[in-house]
Amino acid sequence: MSAHLRDFSRFLWRSCRLATEGDWRYYAWIGLLFLATVLGVNAYAKQFAQGLATSGMNDHVAWGVYIANFTFMVGVADAAVMLVIPVYLYKREELQDFVIFGILLAVVAILMSLAFVMVDLGRPDRFWHMIPGIGKFNFPASLLSWDVIVLNGYLAMNIYICGYLLYRRYRGQPPVGWHYIPWIFLSIFWAVAIHTVTAFLYVGLVGRPFWNNSIVGPRFIASAFVSGPAIVILAMQMVRRVTASGSATERQIPNREAHLADHSSRPATLEDFKALAKFLPELAHVPNETLSKCLPGSAVVEANEGEVLLWQGDTDREAFFILDGRVVVKREENQRERVIRNVGPGEICGEISALTGTARTATAVAESPVKVIRMTATALRRLLQHPKMNQVVRTRMTERLMITDKALLTLRSIVQVSIVVNVFLLMNELFKEFYTDDLHAASAHYLYFGLDGKTALVPWIWTAVFCNLGAMALLMLPVSRSLKVLDLACVLAIVGVWIEKGMGLVVPGQIPSPLGEIVEYTPSFDESLICIGIWAFGLLCYTVALRVAIPILQGRFSAKNGDTKPIPTAG
Amino acid sequence: MSNSQESPARSSRRTFLAKSAAAASGLAAMAAALAPLRDLDDFTNVEEFLRKHYKELTPDELAQRLKIIEQKVKERHDVEAEVKALAPMDGVEFVYCLNLTRCIGCRKCVHACVKENNQSRSPEVQYITVLKMPQGTFDLEKGDTEYQPAAVPEDGSFYMPVQCHQCRNAPCVQVCPVEATWQEPDGITVVDYDWCIGCRYCVAACPYFARRFNWKQPSIPKEEINPDMSYLGNRPRPVGVVEKCHFCIQRTRTGRYPACMEVCPTGSRKFGNILDPESEVSHILREKRVFVLKEEAGTQPRFYYYFDI
Repeated sequence: MSAHLRDFSRFLWRSCRLATEGDWRYYAWIGLLFLATVLGVNAYAKQFAQGLATSGMNDHVAWGVYIANFTFMVGVADAAVMLVIPVYLYKREELQDFVIFGILLAVVAILMSLAFVMVDLGRPDRFWHMIPGIGKFNFPASLLSWDVIVLNGYLAMNIYICGYLLYRRYRGQPPVGWHYIPWIFLSIFWAVAIHTVTAFLYVGLVGRPFWNNSIVGPRFIASAFVSGPAIVILAMQMVRRVTASGSATERQIPNREAHLADHSSRPATLEDFKALAKFLPELAHVPNETLSKCLPGSAVVEANEGEVLLWQGDTDREAFFILDGRVVVKREENQRERVIRNVGPGEICGEISALTGTARTATAVAESPVKVIRMTATALRRLLQHPKMNQVVRTRMTERLMITDKALLTLRSIVQVSIVVNVFLLMNELFKEFYTDDLHAASAHYLYFGLDGKTALVPWIWTAVFCNLGAMALLMLPVSRSLKVLDLACVLAIVGVWIEKGMGLVVPGQIPSPLGEIVEYTPSFDESLICIGIWAFGLLCYTVALRVAIPILQGRFSAKNGDTKPIPTAG
Repeated sequence: MSNSQESPARSSRRTFLAKSAAAASGLAAMAAALAPLRDLDDFTNVEEFLRKHYKELTPDELAQRLKIIEQKVKERHDVEAEVKALAPMDGVEFVYCLNLTRCIGCRKCVHACVKENNQSRSPEVQYITVLKMPQGTFDLEKGDTEYQPAAVPEDGSFYMPVQCHQCRNAPCVQVCPVEATWQEPDGITVVDYDWCIGCRYCVAACPYFARRFNWKQPSIPKEEINPDMSYLGNRPRPVGVVEKCHFCIQRTRTGRYPACMEVCPTGSRKFGNILDPESEVSHILREKRVFVLKEEAGTQPRFYYYFDI
């Protein structure tokens, strides 16, 4: 037990160390987010000292952007299930890599929602009154007490699931099904619960006709399934940008018999390196003296299609520069193999084991007849003494987390369906409000057209309408199979849903007031800073989480592998 | 990688120094960001942090709490106050009746209430909102709450004061996540200002706009403090909590009328015990044309409106 604890604390310590390492882009990004967080903390310190009068809220509009963002973030957290369901219920394996990212996003989103609730409290010093068993918990009457339970429960189970999966991966052990699958299935139901309960916070208020509307719950779920996967699509594209490249198709790994023991090989010459330099321009900068020092450990090998250059799990130490033909790199995990890289002339494979001394992280198979330069670890190290070569090889070492186009397009179809449902439900709501045009339609009138000359929300809601319809149009057209267009559609959808939940639901629900007064609301500068601070803090957490999770998923950061030097920029 | 010529020890020392500098400046920035906390004049001490819910106080603890509140009033406002925790009377359920035929919209009730209940003067917190309604409608959106004529009443209008309706089926009580607000046996919905977390869910839930939040530290001039205070009523409130009309609990539980009723120059306001068939309110509910606001909300108010004719 204590050994376990020691291993785990070592894991945490190493993760912290890893999170502080990165290139200048990583530091710049972290620094920027930290700065925004500090500004938010400063604004909150003011609010804490002076009271919520520093916000733009008033007795008429008593809930503003904090609660709006809270509601939006619960939706984002909810959407992690949109990654979990396809993988665990429908075995859509292309999303497997995404599950951890989705669950991490859920964890961060819940932390952010809790932060938004905390900054909204008039007496944050009394938060413990809400803790079941310690405080006085008005359960089940108050929907807010339900929310305390479902949000914290969801947070706990998601921290457990992603922590478990990542830690097992870090230790190089396959996860044990019954240790986490039951929680995954529970979290699917739970995710629906967090958003439904949050919707019921509003639906349950008889004095607010705009909220007291049974369509709010379904609309929350529909819009969450738009914004959540859209955020994941954008985040994954960022991860892909800074880590990996290429797409791949899944294939069978050949039999172990087809090893390259009997390949024809001959010692390499300077001419072979010249030939390689055609595909690898950086090599041309390496002086001949250096190359000559590498020759003793280098050989030119030819292999036929289907022959294996190196086996996952083996402990040999050679690296292969491809001179001709293509090599496919596959990784086997949980009885499942996945192409993680496909390399051609000028590229290298096998360098991780050569440089770090770890077991092979993948199997490399000749996709066609190939000609490669096989180098011993010593020879490779000599070559890497040249900074240019060092840089190019180290960078490529990070390029092995697969986020396939296919996976992104699967998410696209989820957003596609959800946005149509969301717009359909919106139409239902608008019909009911404007066709009957009873007194209860006043909030909708105020929101869409203004009331008594007060029009603060009108530009917001029409921006949201434009964004939602624009995103829907793009998503329905084949043009959004192009990832650039898909990104645009996702941004529009996220902005649309964010406005819909905030300026389009939380605020107009309180205007007019129950006594028919129209008092408008604009968030104050400090209030906005606090929101930006929480967003920055959330992004900071997500960046750091990815910074640690990605090398684990790539197999570069593990219990056996101390070398985390090759550094990708996360976020 | 570009500094591969350097010795590893030197480069790692440099990294360590750079990271320490970054961590130190990060901490300094965070400390500077927290500077506004120096303005905090009323920081929660341990006794306040650990305070119990009103209903869980033993009689001794309650007596001690009342003493502490009196001391605090003395410190803050230099006023000798008497803070009581009056129990509800047996066989009493309070209701309020308001005569729309008579009300002239003078707002004397609004100001008497502010004075009696030690509401903050800056910003001013008012429990009663008076709507000036054009005759011929009950659409609240047609009402005007900011009317400022030279003289009331104005022709073509009637006036409808709204305050806490002390609902039997109170949405505010239902939604409070920490039971900081509840209904007493005599029908008054009260708030424990020492337990409220300031989430304002009750403010959002109330269909009658009866609840007020202390966005700032309340401020009351010393000479305007009403020293006759009650724990669940008009004792000074801290910043960040919700308050509301409590039928002047410090008066009504000792047999007196609420301040708004006493000050009303037209006799539009009637208050009493609905369980006593001889009371004025029982008589009104039996004999007059009575209605409640937003009956469709199902809140079952203890606040009735009626007409003379």
